Amino acid sequence: MSEVMQSPAGIESRRRDWASLMDPSDRTLAIWLLAPTVVLLLLIIVYPVGRLVFTSFYNLSLTSGLPAQYVGFENFELMLEDPVFWDALWNTVLITIITVPGALLVGLGLALLANLPFRHRWPVRLALLVPWALPLAFVGLIFAWFFHSQYGVVNDVLARFGGPRIIWFNSPQWAFTAICLAIIWKTSSFVGLILLAGLQTIPRSLYEAADVDGAGRLRQFFEITLPLLRPAIVVALIFRTITALQTFDIPYTMTRGGPGTTTATLAMYIHQNTVSFLDLGYGSALAVAMFVLSMGVTVIYLRIMGRGH
Amino acid sequence: MASVKLEGIRKSYGAVEVVKGIDLEVADKEFVVLVGPSGCGKSTTLRMIAGLESITGGTLVIGDRKVNALPPRERDVAMVFQDYALYPHKTVYENMAFGLKVRNHPREEIASRVAQAAETLGIGHLLDRKPSQLSGGQRQRVAMGRAIVRRPQIFLFDEPLSNLDAKLRGQVRTEIKKLHQDISATIIYVTHDQVEAMTLADRIVVMRDGEIEQLGTPDEVYNEPATMFVANFIGAPAMNFLSATVSGGHARLAEGGRVSLGTLADNLAEGTEVKVGIRPEHFLEKAKPDCAVTGIVQVVEPLGADTLIHFAVGNEAMTARVAPQTRPAPGTRLTLGCDPERIHIFDPASERALRRRRPENRAAAIAVGA
Repeated sequence: MSEVMQSPAGIESRRRDWASLMDPSDRTLAIWLLAPTVVLLLLIIVYPVGRLVFTSFYNLSLTSGLPAQYVGFENFELMLEDPVFWDALWNTVLITIITVPGALLVGLGLALLANLPFRHRWPVRLALLVPWALPLAFVGLIFAWFFHSQYGVVNDVLARFGGPRIIWFNSPQWAFTAICLAIIWKTSSFVGLILLAGLQTIPRSLYEAADVDGAGRLRQFFEITLPLLRPAIVVALIFRTITALQTFDIPYTMTRGGPGTTTATLAMYIHQNTVSFLDLGYGSALAVAMFVLSMGVTVIYLRIMGRGH
Repeated sequence: MASVKLEGIRKSYGAVEVVKGIDLEVADKEFVVLVGPSGCGKSTTLRMIAGLESITGGTLVIGDRKVNALPPRERDVAMVFQDYALYPHKTVYENMAFGLKVRNHPREEIASRVAQAAETLGIGHLLDRKPSQLSGGQRQRVAMGRAIVRRPQIFLFDEPLSNLDAKLRGQVRTEIKKLHQDISATIIYVTHDQVEAMTLADRIVVMRDGEIEQLGTPDEVYNEPATMFVANFIGAPAMNFLSATVSGGHARLAEGGRVSLGTLADNLAEGTEVKVGIRPEHFLEKAKPDCAVTGIVQVVEPLGADTLIHFAVGNEAMTARVAPQTRPAPGTRLTLGCDPERIHIFDPASERALRRRRPENRAAAIAVGA
């Protein structure tokens, strides 16, 4: 009974806390309004990321049947000595280096095309949207058929022009090329949409002024379009780079990482360790590495964008 | 500098004809203002001169070259846009230098021309700023500076003051007039504001529905409007119109008064229906035997320098500009006079002016007849 009883001062202070919480002053109101978002973010972002980092310090393999054991940085040491990790990391970086500029160039071309004064704009815009709307795995399957050595349309076209018949998925270089082409096709429409939105914010009168000033089309592109498109380009690059670093579906459905591990990405290796091998400790360490990589790239881009302003 | 000649210039978008054959000659160093309500085709005409719109029909000559098919950069014109169209990522200096840089002028020449133009416009201290760091008036000056440094044959202004507030508009208007005097350039200027047209122009082109309604000096357009549209458009407050019938050398108003027609009556048959036009500032506070208009006072607006009296003659709303101390009470009867020499008579059907025979007109008629 005495444990439940509280001192009058304690009751008083608790009443004050309640009163201040119910006080509709700006500060309290702000806290109440922000609370649901904060709780949601804690639940779906901070907790899983924290849990991931936590798990990466444990030896937690569901196949061993042993309880989780704290191992410090052992998973990370293992990772640094793991040649497959380095292969997967290199493949991921290579895919990023090739497909991000690739998608930017193709996307810019598409955006410039879609921004032309067509009489009927919507079919053009719709065509631009389609690759973006397709599921990634679906695109992987489509391109796996495109590059099929016997029935694929690519080899068919090559044969018609007297080219060689390539067994795309038997050679690491050709398999990698096919994957990069599929990724560029799939992602350039998203980049195109962002850049199209950027293009539409550039007033027409600037081009008219440049016309009167005497600048030709090429000069207008480099002196007006490109500088004014810069914020849109940075946004597209951030989104595209982060998703490129997490590339999974397209290589998974096209090659399963083969031949060998020559087209395996970091995300595929994480998936293999956690889902196939049930080695959650090591998989988490790999995931932490990817998280750090993504964050690092984002920070660099934001710095660049900040300098631009 | 050069002259501009428009011969039967037309513009159609599909089946819609927005400019219906404009004939206009702008002399070297002349300041011509195209004025009219929205959709009258004035901006389209200007953009055709600039080369920003293709010309559907007619001939456009700048200097002694036919330029119909030439792109804007080969026409040697400079344009000041309504929204200024400054390059937001370039500094004021770079904005002004761009046209010269594109044309490969030497760096030193660009620097000296920009400095000179900046001095003329009083924006020398702003050269390192971006357009976003400038006020509306400053941006307007930079836009003019960009045009001046090019030293083009023709300057084109497309409603350059409409994004400025009223006070600034007056100030920049004066600067444009001064600029024209200083650099004695050929200028074609588009506006919907009749005050800008009156104050700036050597000649005014009043446009309506894609055609020229009247072409003349500001004085001619104000004093001798060719149509009711021009009479209504030029002058603020607008001209008053009264329905009347010709009777005994007078225009008898349907209600409340009569106005002597003088020599005009010679041309008009007894009983002809006419519209009498009287500008608000041409009313006199005392009724005269040869001009008296009576109505009921509705609203009185003291403006300080003078007073506007809104009154009704029958169903026709009228406005008079009178001395500041004149303040009739609303609802009272009011009889005003006018100078019959300053009234205008229009044919109600064609809306065209029935001209007073003036000595110079008569001389011209004799010359033509001879």
